[in-house]
Amino acid sequence: MNAKLKETILNPIFKGNPITVLVLGICSSLAVTVTLKGALVMALSVIVVCGISSLILSLLRKTIPGRVRIIVQLVVVAMMVILVDQVLKSFEATYAIDKQLSVYIGLIITNCIVMGRIEAFALGNKPWPSFLDGVANGAGYGLILIIVAFFRELLGSGTLFGIDILNRFGYVPNNLVILPPFALILLGCIVWVQRSIQKDLQEDK
Amino acid sequence: MNTNNNVYTIVYTTLIVVVVAALLAFVSQSLKERQDANEKAETISQMLTSAQYGTKAELDKLSNKDKLAKYADEIEKAFVIDTEGNVVRELEGVDVYSPKALKRQNYNIKGGANATGTAEIPVFKFKNGRTVVPIYGAGLWGPIWGYISFEADNATIAGAYFDHESETAGLGAKIKDDPSFQAEFVGEKPDFGSANVFDIVKGGAPKEANGSSVLDNKIDAISGATMTSQGLDAAIDTWLAAYAKYFQANAPAKECCGNQEGCEGNHEGCEGDHENCEGGHEGMHGEGEGHHHHNHMEE
Repeated sequence: MNAKLKETILNPIFKGNPITVLVLGICSSLAVTVTLKGALVMALSVIVVCGISSLILSLLRKTIPGRVRIIVQLVVVAMMVILVDQVLKSFEATYAIDKQLSVYIGLIITNCIVMGRIEAFALGNKPWPSFLDGVANGAGYGLILIIVAFFRELLGSGTLFGIDILNRFGYVPNNLVILPPFALILLGCIVWVQRSIQKDLQEDK
Repeated sequence: MNTNNNVYTIVYTTLIVVVVAALLAFVSQSLKERQDANEKAETISQMLTSAQYGTKAELDKLSNKDKLAKYADEIEKAFVIDTEGNVVRELEGVDVYSPKALKRQNYNIKGGANATGTAEIPVFKFKNGRTVVPIYGAGLWGPIWGYISFEADNATIAGAYFDHESETAGLGAKIKDDPSFQAEFVGEKPDFGSANVFDIVKGGAPKEANGSSVLDNKIDAISGATMTSQGLDAAIDTWLAAYAKYFQANAPAKECCGNQEGCEGNHEGCEGDHENCEGGHEGMHGEGEGHHHHNHMEE
């Protein structure tokens, strides 16, 4: 694997993370991080939608009429979102989680990460790197989702993946952690940690 | 190739939309059977929740197959009635009404342009003595529906569970997510005699105000979710009004047995029905439900 491809994959995970650096996809990261299971399904859904939409649009990139390219992108992304939703609804194991995530699966279409990466990367690059870029951005988004959901489920419900961790020691679940504002506070803390590690993100005084 | 040509643009967008639509239609058709099975199991778990067979979380731990089996075990009788309270037909096996079927009947109850015939609404009687009926209506963003269960007296609400398609998370979605909202329905008595069968209002109303036995058919609405609360109120009014004749006809004639005063006007009907009355009364004592209720009133 060449260095450029490696950069395509690794950059969105940490250095150019879509949530903490590009500040995209904030809305859903506040909404679906109450439980780890929900966050995990959401992360996988975004990875699939992002990766495959990027692949399809990169394959089509030379044929898409410039004036309607956003609409064409929208049609392809919407198709992928509906497909993911339909598949989640079809399996017993994922049906309940699809119900729990309710509108947020459908709202992946409005997640700026998906259209942003297609517009910025997939339309100007070959299919394979575009696919990797989509998957990596989905993974970068998913990573933050899972970190946030880990703390929110542990402190808000005392469980992880629904399995009791803290409650058996007499922990009283903190209701504030369940509410969306706490996710924003946690996100702020993650950005803080990342900026103190990655000094080049800090603005000049 | 000139991709900015008008004809090219129109042909290209048409083609891509047709291809995507065809693909989605195909996928939707091939997954429909699985989705319907999941939806049916979900409907059953919502009805069982309403009939107090456990919390929704407990019932959701069962597999689809177990949910269907539990329903088959616990259902005593299920049938379809018209709005006059007459039984139209029996529901055999595990036959439940999906939200889509409820939507059709919702149009029929309301009448108007979308009605496809007379309303045929289901009644589910469970072995624990509770009767479950569905409700359906419009929330703020999409349909809302749910199941209300009645105690054996066909007058007191034993439990309720509501679901929605796209109400706002944290506000309107509380009709589904907030067990304390659903718990408010327990013990309420809808006023089947009036058009305003049930109310969801700010503040609710105290139960048994001044110790009198006024009908308590009001509960507290959800703060910040006025439209969803109003939608749910309207849905409950519409559907319970459609069931009113059935519930009134099947309420045990306990006024005849227990409360002589209320009985005076209806004396003849009472006499004829006396034996049934006695039987019903004993049955209630046997179950402990009726007895418990008496104590409650005295307190």
